[in-house]
Amino acid sequence: MNITEPMFLALTALVDEPRHGYGIVQEVDRLSEGRVQLKIGTLYGVLDRLSAEGLVALDREEVRQGRLRRYYRLTDEGADALREEAARMAANAGAANARLRARLRSQAAGGAA
Amino acid sequence: MSLLEQRYRSVLRLLPASYRAEREEEMVAAFMELSGEVPDELNAHPRWGEVASVLALSVRVRLGASSASPRSFAWGEAVRLVALLGLAFQSLYAVFTVADLFRRVTLDGDPGFVGAPGSFERLLIVGGSGMVVCSAFAFIAIMQGRAGVAKIAAVLGVAPVTASFLMSILVLGPSGGRALSEAGGLVFTAVPVIALLLGFHGDVPPRRRSWALTLAPLAAGVVALGWVEVAGALRLYLSPWLYLWLDLAGMTIPVWAAASVALPARRRPPSAALAMSAFGLLLLADRLPLLDYMPEGVPWAMACAQCVLLGVLAAALAWAGVRALPGGRAAVLPGPDQVGERSG
Repeated sequence: MNITEPMFLALTALVDEPRHGYGIVQEVDRLSEGRVQLKIGTLYGVLDRLSAEGLVALDREEVRQGRLRRYYRLTDEGADALREEAARMAANAGAANARLRARLRSQAAGGAA
Repeated sequence: MSLLEQRYRSVLRLLPASYRAEREEEMVAAFMELSGEVPDELNAHPRWGEVASVLALSVRVRLGASSASPRSFAWGEAVRLVALLGLAFQSLYAVFTVADLFRRVTLDGDPGFVGAPGSFERLLIVGGSGMVVCSAFAFIAIMQGRAGVAKIAAVLGVAPVTASFLMSILVLGPSGGRALSEAGGLVFTAVPVIALLLGFHGDVPPRRRSWALTLAPLAAGVVALGWVEVAGALRLYLSPWLYLWLDLAGMTIPVWAAASVALPARRRPPSAALAMSAFGLLLLADRLPLLDYMPEGVPWAMACAQCVLLGVLAAALAWAGVRALPGGRAAVLPGPDQVGERSG
């Protein structure tokens, strides 16, 4: 399954505790430092896909001030998928950093010569 | 209920009723928390970004991928197949366009046909032909799982017919046979592109098909081109009975009709019947304007016969496809055994 950035961030938002729709929007905003602001339609598209793949599940429902809140939790499959995706991204970032360091070293050596 | 909430609920009506039954209250709650308290006096509307996200969700729900409900998946597959059929036809047309351009530039060499070398007129003609070829690239790209590239190429491919339609409207006005014909051509070309843009959304995983299938329309275009040359040599165009069956759409109609008749016997999925029906209606949109300007007698009767054949078969396919559609939408959420108690 191709995990897009909104899906990755939504999964990450559910790692520490179950959250409801607006809670996920807020947490994704925090995690991405304001770069990713999920629209409500986008959020529920993401939740539909993650639910269909069994990566998140409905945890509980609450009614607060007359409004329905559904809380979603990360499943074990979701945690595995997130771990794999994070490892893949870390490996890519590691490769990029290694090459950037090598480039800096060669530039420094060229400058010294 | 605040004015903003009312307006957001109106936006949510873009979604299918079955989806709203499960998600509306939850989505409204999330939206209202996101928006905060907004007095009615401010006459607030949901932002365009929110509206667009609901519209995109609506497309994904209605035209589902393999993980969606069987009914939504069937509609999604039908739309995707319309895109493939339409682009396959445009690939055939691209073969004709390139061959025609090559002949005009190299063999005829008459500047009246292609403009003088280096002229703006020639640039326009060659550029327009190049954009038609974009449709063939779009077909190749989507068959090889490159939806993004396919969408860009397909939009470029529809540009010449759109420009031609707009020019005819501006020059000749919205009425008249030419405008009607251009409108039919625009519908025929643009609908598959719209189907491509809508059907191959983010939930649909990229799928690479065989190169044999990918290149089949181009090969069919070469065969059809050869047949046209043979028909020209045999002067079949002079026959009023055959004239309308010898252009690309005319040649496609019997092939489409034969495939449509074969469909029920081969027990194809409903999406195939619906897509074939839609493609038949697109051919009909291309053919109907002929009734306006075809000479009376045999040519008009042939145009009429083509339209009747397309209309009747397309209606029968639509009826068969809709009847064979699977049941309603499956629940998007896990069953109640997975849900904790409600707390107030």
